[in-house]
Amino acid sequence: MIYKVSYVVEGGDLPGGIKNEEKAPEVGDEVQLGPKTFVVTEIMEIMPPRDDFQFLHATVRPVEDPSPAEIG
Amino acid sequence: MDVKAAMKKAVLFQGLDDAQLNQLAQISHERVYDAGAVIFSEGDAGDGIYIIGSGQVGVEQTDTSGETSPSIYLGEGQVAGEMALIDGAKRSASIVVVDADTRIYYITTEDFTALCQRQTDIGYIMMRNIAQDLSFKLRHGSYNLTKN
Repeated sequence: MIYKVSYVVEGGDLPGGIKNEEKAPEVGDEVQLGPKTFVVTEIMEIMPPRDDFQFLHATVRPVEDPSPAEIG
Repeated sequence: MDVKAAMKKAVLFQGLDDAQLNQLAQISHERVYDAGAVIFSEGDAGDGIYIIGSGQVGVEQTDTSGETSPSIYLGEGQVAGEMALIDGAKRSASIVVVDADTRIYYITTEDFTALCQRQTDIGYIMMRNIAQDLSFKLRHGSYNLTKN
């Protein structure tokens, strides 16, 4: 099964993406869209599956860059 | 990954058998791009479709203030340039490569149209799949609006 996923970024300030995934995304997974990394917060089906494809929406939010204090 | 393996991972070629995929593979041209390469630019004439075999591209559009920024990123198995294939208009956006060694399969409009006219069974499946892909992109856009 191939999962065609529409990734939408919370807040609308950053572009989302569309990618094929070999495993179904889950809440908490990280995904790379362009130069940034995001974490999945919500998943839903966008269209019924057809043949070898499932069609999903995932809402994501940016993974926060570590603060200088965290880096040490 | 060869062109047929890449096609099997793309919704655009869903429902085609091996013989039909072979015919499409024969008119596909493989290209590998560095990060930052521009595949086509907003306003260019639409000359074909691009299937992303691996890597990632950004779809960039110019806003009313003249600033260009990505509106969406497309990864493996996605298609770019299909709107111009359907309507013959100029490119509505630029496609800029994000990942190094991004592999693209390119089919000219001329070759694609000739194959679809010659093999109407392929033409029907491809047109249905292009419509489904455009529908998916519209749903992505409308979901984006409702979430934000």
